[in-house]
Amino acid sequence: MTMDVDIIDEEMPQIYSSKAAGKRPRVPVDDAHPFELETYISSYSGRTYVDRLLHIMSACPLLAPQAFQLAIREAQKGRDTALYRNIFSAYDRVYADASDEIPDGPSIATIDQKWIEETNAKNQAERTKLEVELKTYSSNMIKESIRMAHRDLGSFYRSVGEQAGSLKHYTKSREFCTTSQHVLDMCLSVLELLMEQRSYSHIGTYVFKAEAALDSATSVRQTAQQQPEAPAGAAQATRERRSAERERVQSKLDVATAISYLGQSNYEKAAQAFLKVGAIKGLEEWSGKLIAPGDVAIYATLCALATFPRPLIKTLVLDNDNFGVYIEQEPYVRELLEAYMNNRFKTVLESLDRYSTRHYLDVHIASHVLSLTNLIRSKALVQYFQPFSSIRLERMSQAFGWSVDELEQQVVQLIQSGEIKARVDRQNKILKAKETDQRAALFARAIKNGQAMQAANRKLLLRMRLQQADLVVKPPKGQGMMTMSAMPMDIAMAGMHMLHPSPFMSMSGDY
Amino acid sequence: MSHAGASGYGLPSLDDVLTQITTHAPNLASYLKTFAPREVRETILASTLGSGQDPLTVLDPQINTLGFLYILSARLHSTSMNQASNAALPDAIEAFTSKFEPQHARLAPDRVSMLGRDIARFYEAASNPRGAIGPLSNLVQRYPPNPSYLTTLHPIFLKLCVAHRHLTAALPVLSHHITAIDTTLSDLTYNDNLIYHYAGGVALAALKRWPQAEEFFEICVTAPAQVPAAIQLEAFKKLVLVQLIQYGEASSSTIPPPKYTLPALLRQMKNTPYQGFIKQYPGRVDFLRQIAAKDQDIYVQEKNWGLVSQAIDRAPVWLIKKLTATYLTLGLGDIGKEVGIDSPEEVRETILSMIDSGEINASISEDGTVTFADPVPQFSKDELDQMLVDAQQHSRLLFEIERGVNASKEYLTKAMRHKDDAGWGPDEDMFPMSMAGGHGWADDSSFM
Repeated sequence: MTMDVDIIDEEMPQIYSSKAAGKRPRVPVDDAHPFELETYISSYSGRTYVDRLLHIMSACPLLAPQAFQLAIREAQKGRDTALYRNIFSAYDRVYADASDEIPDGPSIATIDQKWIEETNAKNQAERTKLEVELKTYSSNMIKESIRMAHRDLGSFYRSVGEQAGSLKHYTKSREFCTTSQHVLDMCLSVLELLMEQRSYSHIGTYVFKAEAALDSATSVRQTAQQQPEAPAGAAQATRERRSAERERVQSKLDVATAISYLGQSNYEKAAQAFLKVGAIKGLEEWSGKLIAPGDVAIYATLCALATFPRPLIKTLVLDNDNFGVYIEQEPYVRELLEAYMNNRFKTVLESLDRYSTRHYLDVHIASHVLSLTNLIRSKALVQYFQPFSSIRLERMSQAFGWSVDELEQQVVQLIQSGEIKARVDRQNKILKAKETDQRAALFARAIKNGQAMQAANRKLLLRMRLQQADLVVKPPKGQGMMTMSAMPMDIAMAGMHMLHPSPFMSMSGDY
Repeated sequence: MSHAGASGYGLPSLDDVLTQITTHAPNLASYLKTFAPREVRETILASTLGSGQDPLTVLDPQINTLGFLYILSARLHSTSMNQASNAALPDAIEAFTSKFEPQHARLAPDRVSMLGRDIARFYEAASNPRGAIGPLSNLVQRYPPNPSYLTTLHPIFLKLCVAHRHLTAALPVLSHHITAIDTTLSDLTYNDNLIYHYAGGVALAALKRWPQAEEFFEICVTAPAQVPAAIQLEAFKKLVLVQLIQYGEASSSTIPPPKYTLPALLRQMKNTPYQGFIKQYPGRVDFLRQIAAKDQDIYVQEKNWGLVSQAIDRAPVWLIKKLTATYLTLGLGDIGKEVGIDSPEEVRETILSMIDSGEINASISEDGTVTFADPVPQFSKDELDQMLVDAQQHSRLLFEIERGVNASKEYLTKAMRHKDDAGWGPDEDMFPMSMAGGHGWADDSSFM
């Protein structure tokens, strides 16, 4: 297990360099945007601990020195020397951008060459050992041992940060799986890897495979246990054990699914998946290693606020006892939800802004904060206006804490996208709901459709008659079907000569 | 040439023919078609009587329609007409086209098509092409059993009207929708249909009758085809421009073209500069002009620059219309900013003209504030009644067609074959099928 803890990602440096070079505005950390690095990072461990610190370093230079130290300390517990170096180069990049605000790298920490060399040597030895093992097992054709050798190599590569090699061995081990449980284990390992790598689009495939394996694993056990005629009590007990185990794996799969939806900006499905996640203890070692319970609360809440209608938020989020446990991890999330449900939109927006730092510094949700916030804001505006037939923009702007112009812009956008059925009286700064005369509208629609239908029938009738009389445009003679399929454009050009009676060109002239 | 055909080879002379005509011989139609070998026949028909009289002055176009038709068309068609007989021809054409008996003329559809073409040619040669419009208009309107039939005369007439910018003359013909095709009535080709609807569309667009023009172009574009014809692509280009002018949006973006449009045609359309123009429409006027100017050569060459310019001129109207959906009141200056017109005066004019034409319901106050109101659709009882009558007529028509199809030989053979294939009961599929068909129409109408 320890080797699993410190893993590295070779692709990471690229990801970070592109982000660091990018235009992402710096995330502020001040009184209005509180953020406690120590508290935040303490809920994580292992590989993601370093990953998250790297992300924080690039997003928020102010926190970089502190994050730098923490990252080095954690990385040295592991065996990934590439990651260790990355931390230094990442800090150098941050320093290059903000040299006047933070001390330079060497003044905080220097690269421990001795540790690197020692670790590299140890890694090399271990690798050789594992590969020799694999070879031996392969030549002996012991299926189970081959699987385990592949699995061990996968874990090893993962721990030294060679993701591609790791994935290769994990997937290779599948060929030697003899039970569904093995397949399930393999899928879960791959899922961990994918979540670390943040390759969201592949997660779905392995969740699907894992679910299939899970189904057969439980059913196999069921039949196996039913054969010896067990007393009713024992059967009951095993069933409970089984469902508990199933639930445990299911929670992990739900988390993986949810993260993949979130990564692909499918917020509604992400929210649903996050809300399905079972009890915290079901996450087992994933909690902290991959995701903190607080993260689940934040991801789910933001996605739900952005996409769910109110009644759903109430039943699925607030009245969800299981999810309540997650919410306890991040108290502000409950405030956010309650403010939203009580229509205190100003509070909602302020709170979103206040904790934006927390969101921007999170690896998974960072790139979605902006669109989620926009979605929530639009929904809030729509909901606020719903009960009114007209309202002064000024009053509305107070409720949201914006200037009138800002509000007007937002409202106009929503009207144009059809989300608010209302119109703006710009002169008097009033928003007025649209009133439609349903009767007249119905008549107008019926008449329009009737006429359109008559016209369509007429045209179709003519078309039918033309076809009956075989008055169909055909390829010019002299060009067989062969050439036609080969060069349709040429046919068209030939047709152009044939059918361009020159008087048309002159007659269609000046309107 | 005057006595050219007079017997000699045992052939009848024109005098003999005339006798046959005036006595209303029982098989006159086939007689006229076969009384002599083809070449000679035409020569005989184009000659004069033994007495030197012009046969056309002897015959009455109403009573002797068929004979008159044959002789007149032969005369017009012969290349060696002398000036003297030509002088009488316009009167004869005039007399024939206004008085001929349509039922008789339908016995010789090929002669009618020939006559139509030659009338146009005759006036062209006499450097008075417009003169042909009157007679052709008569011919085109009187020849078919009812105005819903397409004939070979239609494209000839329309081409003439459009080429010589005599557009209003075409309106009586264009105001009827073509829904019937009968190849025994005249020997149609697919080109006749394409040209008629294209030229009709051009004429209607020039008269700014956009909805009708749209329908004509659409018919041309969606005409059944195995490969796209160039004229269909041209019609498609004009169709989208007309749609832009009429709705502010066009095919392939928001108004999808009918499903039965040829896919190859859609693909070719995608490769034209029109596509880019549609995408940007309606935008700010200056921006649209910029885009259009880039491909101006193409538009000018394809004779669509006029339509493009009109579409650009209409752009502010669509932008303002969009604003009415968002705002209740706006200053003239604000509108100008949104639309891309600098002078408030121009904005005011545009809005006033929109109010006048009933496109928006708005008022402008003294300080330049425009107040928009919802357009209130108004329907009088008479209008509604009329629409109901129309709908009933329409469904009656469809029902008739339905019955016609059910009784047609093709349908029955197919139905019988299917019955054998599936091994159904004898009566089961015939009657329920026709009933189901009837329902099908009703269903269609309710959801469309």
